[in-house]
Amino acid sequence: MKLLRYDVHALTGAYAVNAIDDEFEREKFERHMHRCQQCASEVRGLTETATRLAFGVSRPPPTRMRDSVLSAISLTRQLPPVIDHRKPRPQHWWTGRLPMLSYSLAMATVGVAIVLLVALIGARHELDQARTQNAALAAVLSAPDSHSVTQTISSGGRVILVYSLRKHAMIVTTHGLPALPSGKVYQLWFIGPPATRSAGLLPASQAGRAGPLLSRGLARGDTIGITIEPAGGTRQPTTKPILLVATHG
Amino acid sequence: MRPAGTGPGLPEGKDRDLDRLLALVARGDEKAFASVYDQLAGPVYGLIRRVVRNPAQSEEVAQEVLLEVWRAASRFDPSKGSAATWVMTIAHRRAVDRVRSAAAAAEREQRIAQPPSGGDDVADAVEASLEQERVRRCLDGLTELQRESITLAYYGGYSYREVSALLGSTLGTIKTRIRDGLIRMRDCMGVSW
Repeated sequence: MKLLRYDVHALTGAYAVNAIDDEFEREKFERHMHRCQQCASEVRGLTETATRLAFGVSRPPPTRMRDSVLSAISLTRQLPPVIDHRKPRPQHWWTGRLPMLSYSLAMATVGVAIVLLVALIGARHELDQARTQNAALAAVLSAPDSHSVTQTISSGGRVILVYSLRKHAMIVTTHGLPALPSGKVYQLWFIGPPATRSAGLLPASQAGRAGPLLSRGLARGDTIGITIEPAGGTRQPTTKPILLVATHG
Repeated sequence: MRPAGTGPGLPEGKDRDLDRLLALVARGDEKAFASVYDQLAGPVYGLIRRVVRNPAQSEEVAQEVLLEVWRAASRFDPSKGSAATWVMTIAHRRAVDRVRSAAAAAEREQRIAQPPSGGDDVADAVEASLEQERVRRCLDGLTELQRESITLAYYGGYSYREVSALLGSTLGTIKTRIRDGLIRMRDCMGVSW
């Protein structure tokens, strides 16, 4: 027993540098750490030490990365804080869960009430749409293969694309694109080896900003394009693209 | 006992400054995020380059990490560690995830990637700074087995089992060497925890 405890304790270093790849072993160590103040404190110091190792190999990232990240965040919804309702050490399995259960029930009841109220006002449909849209946007943004591209347009403005080939979708936002004369729209395209498909029309911009617009149907090998077309859009592009971005990944 | 004159690795106020900025980021402050980016993008990218090696993939992982910092800022808990450590932990985890899944993929397909960059490449590109100098000096103060274990685990992204196989030492020895090596690094760099 004594040997076993010592063994677990010796993992503080490996844990601090994320070198425990066995999930079971890592969880076991984390449980041990909850009870062992000394281990927790040591892990903290060693993790701070590992951070210095990272500062020791600091190197300037490509300059384009800054723009790309800063424009991606303006499209990305943040996670709400975690509210911790857990008791420090529940004695039985239900002591920890009952409050959670009643909390969830209460929240569910509140949720139902809100939905009923909203339905009553007749706005439910819109709300659902917004929610689905948000979930779809989040799915593309958080896809493990999502790419973000910022392109400056020669006639003015910027286009920010975030796409995921796995999700077959892209999100488009524009900043400062020149306003078009009435009867004209910006149309998006998926230009693939087999065919060119419309990816939708850019909504009218508000305060110079349009989108986010979610387009589905992106396929591997597609190039993303934007052209100016007559209102209502066309089946195939009829003008020279103002933007072409090859997808990869 | 800490050797005199080493001081903390990061300027004293910088850590707390980052903590405060991250609290602003959690409330959606894009300007605060830009400051966090300017302070941490270098170490994030440098660490990921060191683990992943391939520049294009490293850039991709670094972007994911920084976006995650924005997304999850509300989950940062200053009572559990510094903001820099929270960010570097995410960066290291993502980099390791990438090389572990890449290792599995590489066994299936022979990839024609650019030749792996050697350690020298990293050493050359690293900007000379006090912090880097200090890390190097403290690493030099470790025994060879401590240094190799820590370097392979942290910069190489290997699990301690893999390190043990690479160095031909028992699991127990490697665990202990990573731990006592880190403790010596901590004291050498004057980490105040």
